[in-house]
Amino acid sequence: MLLNRNLYTWAGLGLLVAGILVSLAAYFIFLLTWLIALGIAMLILSFILLVLGRTIPKLPPEVGSLLLETGIDNISAIVEELGIKAKAVYLPSSLTSGRPQALIPLHSNPSLPVITSPLPRRLIVRYGANPDDIGLLVATTGTIAIDMLESRPGATSAGLESALTFLFMGVLGVADGTKVTSNENHISVEIRNPRIENHNAWSHHCLGGPLASVVASVAAEAWDKPVTISQEEYHRGKCSIKLEVLG
Amino acid sequence: MLYKTRGTGVKVYNSYILVIASLLLPTTIILVILGVNTLDIYYTAYIMEALVATELYVYFNAKARRGLNLISAMLFGGFLLSIYLQAMKILT
Repeated sequence: MLLNRNLYTWAGLGLLVAGILVSLAAYFIFLLTWLIALGIAMLILSFILLVLGRTIPKLPPEVGSLLLETGIDNISAIVEELGIKAKAVYLPSSLTSGRPQALIPLHSNPSLPVITSPLPRRLIVRYGANPDDIGLLVATTGTIAIDMLESRPGATSAGLESALTFLFMGVLGVADGTKVTSNENHISVEIRNPRIENHNAWSHHCLGGPLASVVASVAAEAWDKPVTISQEEYHRGKCSIKLEVLG
Repeated sequence: MLYKTRGTGVKVYNSYILVIASLLLPTTIILVILGVNTLDIYYTAYIMEALVATELYVYFNAKARRGLNLISAMLFGGFLLSIYLQAMKILT
């Protein structure tokens, strides 16, 4: 079972065997201290590789990509079929009775919806008093990504940056880092070397790309306020996302 | 394909392993050039470098961090053992 894991485990086992052989040969035959030390260095590296090999997800990345595409395709089909042009509003868990989700208003209003009470856990929800205040409440990549955080991020640039870097760099491995700046109700996020490319789809106009979706969900949860994606740009290995905090 | 993933998904692991490897090997070379012939010094240098590098990579997931903390504890235990053996050698 251990051997079927991945390259880290194989490399770790290789270094473990080589490290033991080198150390023993250096100690009993060659009598060289530096060679024993080199064997010990190989053993330290092998332990690290074996530990990291155990933390690699069993599910191949291709399966993850398959599931992501399926979900996005379905959302795109619904959004396209309904002719929705409004921007999605990312809601914190306190406004969705459970986990952070995105609200897609069915009608484009000049002003963004103001939501003050938790919405019911349904696909089609009424969020205001007007007859047109109906929208789709959907789960996004950010909805699931929030669960991967160890604690709720603070409502500061540093708190959001730390949470996003932890997610993108440490857990998901889809970027090399993030930089966050905030000014009153506007948050700017720069993602370095994103490894998920966006392609134009209908749903992107209202929901944003997968990375922007994660950023918006985490920001909504951190500020505990609804958030919209006002801009998303990919340029020279950087993804710039601008958010607007509502309410 | 709507989304195209590039590169490996565990770039941070590769970077960490490369940092550790590129610290340990030059340390061995430098200590050999300096004529160090005590295993304790090599070992102490290795574990110090490994511990510092591990502390710098704070963005590992919880499972990886738990495993690396266990290795750090083991290495530190080895360090304490070497100190104990040295002390016993001096005392006897």
